[in-house]
Amino acid sequence: MSKIFPKSANSLPLQIIIYLVVLIGIATAGVTYYMTPKYTRIGYAPVQPVPFSHEKHVSELGMDCRFCHSNVEKSGHSNVPTSQTCMNCHNQIKTSSPLLAPVRESYASGDSVPWVWIHKTPDYAYFNHAAHVNRGVSCVECHGKINEMEVVAHNQSLSMGFCLECHRNPETRVRDPKDVYDLNSQTIAAKAGVEAGVKFVHDWKIKPPQSCSGCHR
Amino acid sequence: MKRKFDHSAPSESALTGPRYWRSLDELTATPGFQQHLAREFPEGASTLDGVDRRSFMKLMAASFALGGLGLAGCRRPEKNILPFGKSVEGVIPGLPQYFATAMPLRKSAIPLLAETHQGRPTKLEGNPTYAPHGGASSLLAQASVLDLYDPERATVNTSKGDVLSAAAANDLLAGVGKTYAAVQGAGLAFLAEQSSSPTRARLVAQLRAKFPKAVWSEYEPVSDEPPTTAARAVFGAVVKPIYRFAKAERIVSLDADFLSAESASLYYAREFAKGRRVTKKEDPMNRLYVAESALTLTGSMADHRLRLASSHILSFAAALAGKITGDAVYARLAEGLDLKPEWIAECAADLAAHKGSSLVVAGAHQPAAVHAIAYAINASLGNIGRTVDFVEVAADESVSISDLAKAITANSVKTLVVLGGNPAYNAPAELNWPALQKSVGEVIRFGYHSDETSALAGTHLAAAHYLESWGDARTADGVVVPVQPMILPLFGGITEIETLARILGLPKTDGYSLVFDTVTALGGGDSAKTFRRFLHDGLLANSAYPIVSVNLSGRGLAQVLGSVAPAVGALSQANLEVRFVADHTMDDGRFANNGWLQECPDPITKISWDNAILVSPRLGKELGIEPKGSLIQVARKEEADFTQGAENAHVFTLTVGGRTVRGPVHIQPGLSNYTVVVALGYGRTKSGHVGTGAGFSAYGLRTAQAPAFVTGATLVTTGTRMKLANTQEHWSMEGRDLIREANYSEYKENPDYVREMGIESHAPSNLGKVGEAMTPAQRATEIPRGGSLYETPKFDGVHQWGMSIDLNTCIGCNACVVACQAENNIPIVGKDQVMRGREMHWIRLDRYYSDGKADGRAMADLFGGEPSGNSILPEDPQISLQPIACAQCELAPCEIVCPVNATVHDDEGLNTMAYNRCIGTRYCANNCPYKVRRFNFFDYNLRPLDSLYLGQLAPKGMPELVKMVKNPEVTVRMRGVMEKCTYCVQRIQNGKIQHKVKTAQAGRPSDVVVPDGVIKTACQQVCPVESIVFGNILDPKSEVSVAKAREQDYALLGYLNIRPRTTYLGKLRNPNSKMPDYAALPLSRIEYNNKNHSGDHSSSHGEKPEKPAKQSGGHSSVLPGNRSGGLS
Repeated sequence: MSKIFPKSANSLPLQIIIYLVVLIGIATAGVTYYMTPKYTRIGYAPVQPVPFSHEKHVSELGMDCRFCHSNVEKSGHSNVPTSQTCMNCHNQIKTSSPLLAPVRESYASGDSVPWVWIHKTPDYAYFNHAAHVNRGVSCVECHGKINEMEVVAHNQSLSMGFCLECHRNPETRVRDPKDVYDLNSQTIAAKAGVEAGVKFVHDWKIKPPQSCSGCHR
Repeated sequence: MKRKFDHSAPSESALTGPRYWRSLDELTATPGFQQHLAREFPEGASTLDGVDRRSFMKLMAASFALGGLGLAGCRRPEKNILPFGKSVEGVIPGLPQYFATAMPLRKSAIPLLAETHQGRPTKLEGNPTYAPHGGASSLLAQASVLDLYDPERATVNTSKGDVLSAAAANDLLAGVGKTYAAVQGAGLAFLAEQSSSPTRARLVAQLRAKFPKAVWSEYEPVSDEPPTTAARAVFGAVVKPIYRFAKAERIVSLDADFLSAESASLYYAREFAKGRRVTKKEDPMNRLYVAESALTLTGSMADHRLRLASSHILSFAAALAGKITGDAVYARLAEGLDLKPEWIAECAADLAAHKGSSLVVAGAHQPAAVHAIAYAINASLGNIGRTVDFVEVAADESVSISDLAKAITANSVKTLVVLGGNPAYNAPAELNWPALQKSVGEVIRFGYHSDETSALAGTHLAAAHYLESWGDARTADGVVVPVQPMILPLFGGITEIETLARILGLPKTDGYSLVFDTVTALGGGDSAKTFRRFLHDGLLANSAYPIVSVNLSGRGLAQVLGSVAPAVGALSQANLEVRFVADHTMDDGRFANNGWLQECPDPITKISWDNAILVSPRLGKELGIEPKGSLIQVARKEEADFTQGAENAHVFTLTVGGRTVRGPVHIQPGLSNYTVVVALGYGRTKSGHVGTGAGFSAYGLRTAQAPAFVTGATLVTTGTRMKLANTQEHWSMEGRDLIREANYSEYKENPDYVREMGIESHAPSNLGKVGEAMTPAQRATEIPRGGSLYETPKFDGVHQWGMSIDLNTCIGCNACVVACQAENNIPIVGKDQVMRGREMHWIRLDRYYSDGKADGRAMADLFGGEPSGNSILPEDPQISLQPIACAQCELAPCEIVCPVNATVHDDEGLNTMAYNRCIGTRYCANNCPYKVRRFNFFDYNLRPLDSLYLGQLAPKGMPELVKMVKNPEVTVRMRGVMEKCTYCVQRIQNGKIQHKVKTAQAGRPSDVVVPDGVIKTACQQVCPVESIVFGNILDPKSEVSVAKAREQDYALLGYLNIRPRTTYLGKLRNPNSKMPDYAALPLSRIEYNNKNHSGDHSSSHGEKPEKPAKQSGGHSSVLPGNRSGGLS
């Protein structure tokens, strides 16, 4: 009776196992790298209808975040300014710039400028800006140094792990309330040591929720 | 392959050796029990019907393919942020705005605050500035916001099938005005609904002046206010009564459902609860006597309830008046009344002993003579000015629909303008309105839906919803309230006052100007300021109807009494009385296309999506439809034949005066023996998808002469059956301690009575000695383990949320059910799904009947001996109601079985539900002792109700219009996800955040505890009787802590050691010991005692359960020291 399988077939099961392990390893590594918010979100910088530069307005002109995002202290949603807000200045300056044409049109017609949404949390997660900025969490913690961005790019992963990291250790992230809108400022812990951060968290009774109901409803 | 376990009982041949049985039902092998055995969830909740394996695989393959397609685009789709072009004053994206408005209904209105999110109203709350309602609102008001977004509302004006532009419609109306101005309105007729709007009244007055020969008629199929004819006759003035229930210690209702069916019911319910609430031993408690034919919510609260046909109420009222006043004028009417004279005598004596603090109320539907008698009794008892005030109202100068019909028949109407209403559906049957309407040359119909009336009208003008309209209205006590638009008319509809103004040819026809002129004329002062204040407050100060002093005219009374004949003809199966009632949810039919209301079960029958012919158990027996159930099953005899949650009702035809309707029969305990109750408002033939075809229309039986009740009816079976969706088939508490009741007299001696009931009273405390010694706040944070092995983490939040529900004041109005639905984006599931037990309401009201006859001797029915009372359908039950939502158990049984930690506790004691984590195993629902978890078996939010069963590839998605009603603060759940009450966690979180923002900005950042009363759950906010109290139990002064500290506080199923955060306050009844139907204990308590302390040692207690009066001795057996009696 002839041999159906050559001798080399003896090592086939082992080879298959090795291949599978490698394959699964690569797949796992690929998914963990390419399919998590760290990869899919960070660096996302879509082209906006108007090439608005935060760098120019904040760093050069010294405008405060709240000049445009005027309701961030009151509302859960940090508003994108209405075209009217833009026109407060731009009816005086650069009144005929072609780049601002969409804003002028929008102001005239009342229709919206379709800004592309960058920092988006899932529908089942309820992030609240007012709760954070009023209690020592600066814009920079989630948005990065927007003040230096020519084009706004997604800076942090904004995954649940990212949120929880801070919710578990607020003392390292809190700022003096007057520094919240100064994106170049340092955290209390960086300025005066972690003990100062711990004291601030204690004095302000900061107790970031770590249970589901904090963010999911 | 999936193994199919066979749980059915072993066959006879398989049995060898001794025969065991798991329950008596198995032994008796009843068919109902066989079915129960075959399915784990008796309601069929978990079966996959209509899908075989092959089609399932096909579907799954399709969905995998779709998954592959979906993967191709890894980036999330690009979405836009769309800020306003021009800033809008006051709008802060992400924060709701609140505006005062009001929901008008007939001659009253409910003042409201509308919550709007960027211009779209999503939720309505009562306006707290209007003190009589104190911020409460009604079931109908809660649901009315859904009507605004009804995809099937009339969206265009049509004329003979063609679309009519807004300009053309204006021209048409102006043309009507011009044509008829020349002939003083001869040939022009209006048919309108009742309205309390001062602006409409002003315009109608102008209309009369301009068109003196035009006919202005008003028609409402149901009346919710007493007829002014009665007051005019006995007081000589056009007045109506406003009752002050809070001051009334003894109340007699003459067929009056004042807690839900009167125009001022919200106010009345609130005031009634004030007199009912007992927080400490010294508190007084009112006593309610009710004589009624139907079983209403008011009747369910009665301490003494007399089942009496509506047509006999007149005699009853006369007999009562005769006893109280001693006046002979009543004797003629009281003759022939067939009931125990002691009932009337003792009731009269009780009233006479409370002169000035008693009250007699007659139902709005009762004839003028009954109202006149009620006024006379109140006058004789000195109640006028104390418990009842009379306010001056405008006289009604409109003609009736019958007179209008005469005019049409006489051919004197050329143009008919139908403003609202739906006469083709609900006009009195003898008018044959559809034919009449067709005979009129030109019919202009102004209406919200394109309905039965529109179909027969040449022109239909689309009406605006009240949330899109400028208008005004008056509350039941006359306070002028604004109707403000929250949003521009979605489909460009106009309002009633605009329609009238255009016909009148006024220079300004927009709603705002019309209302501005009316209100500033009424309010006086600086007009702009007055109007701003009016809109801000949501009411015009000092605009209530003036209270006037009235004098009873004996002559007038004698005249009224002389004009009626006593009508105590004996009723029988061959001479039935039919009582027409406005449906609890559909009202007169105007809300038929509102899914929230269709699905909301009737508070008493618990039937949703249908109405039924309600018959008494005795009549049911005579008709031969007495339900056949197991004699000894746990649920005792079933109320009707139920199969898997669907009530299998017999279909009968109901005939009266030669007119016939056909409908399913539901046996309803508590009805007058030969009164048949039918709810109006169903059986719409031309409504939307939701409303068309639900139930049957009873308008076909109703004539203008007898709009509320009529005698001489017969019921004949058709031999067919029909399935009804009934959400509660089980109606008896089985002698258990779910609702713990006591009589007021017992409570005064023993305020602790709730602790002496239930298994807890027989067992050592679950909390252990350590736990018992703790304060409630300590217990909430430390969770003493007691004897438990299971250790929970500490709850260390700065708040610990809890709720208390006072069963003593709950009237079962269902407003909380719909308020919760509106707040929490709860979908409707449709009749078919409700019949499978899949309704989604997060809070439900359980309704129990007790007749004091359930006992522990079920065996007697099987094996002989004196039969038990278990199998008797009660004719005259006491009703107990209990709202149940997730109780947020501290040691929650649902949490320990969740394989993915989708339901876990947060640090403030909430049993949270993370929808995005839930994989839908339904273990939690299985393990929940309260059965309050709800599962999305289908994409109820994304699919129309008739295409739930279509496959994955079938189109889905929500119409844009329906999306607009969703609360943006709450996730819209998808298929395969479990959901439940979360104490309105979105309100809690937003309340906490707003408080922290406020204190941080005010420089007090360490103040993080939200003050009591700032956060209210939706059910609490809507509750007209303030039964539901919610708050922080760490604060000993909070309202909820105070409520929980009361002696009547108990935990439902507390013996399970689940430690629910929602606890109940026991119910009290206040019967009169001299009354013939006095029971020394509430009937449910008698059942409790019978069940738990009879059986083998019943002889030692020495009473028979049928004699409740003697039971006082028996009940001592549950007192400490003497409770060695058997525990079930």
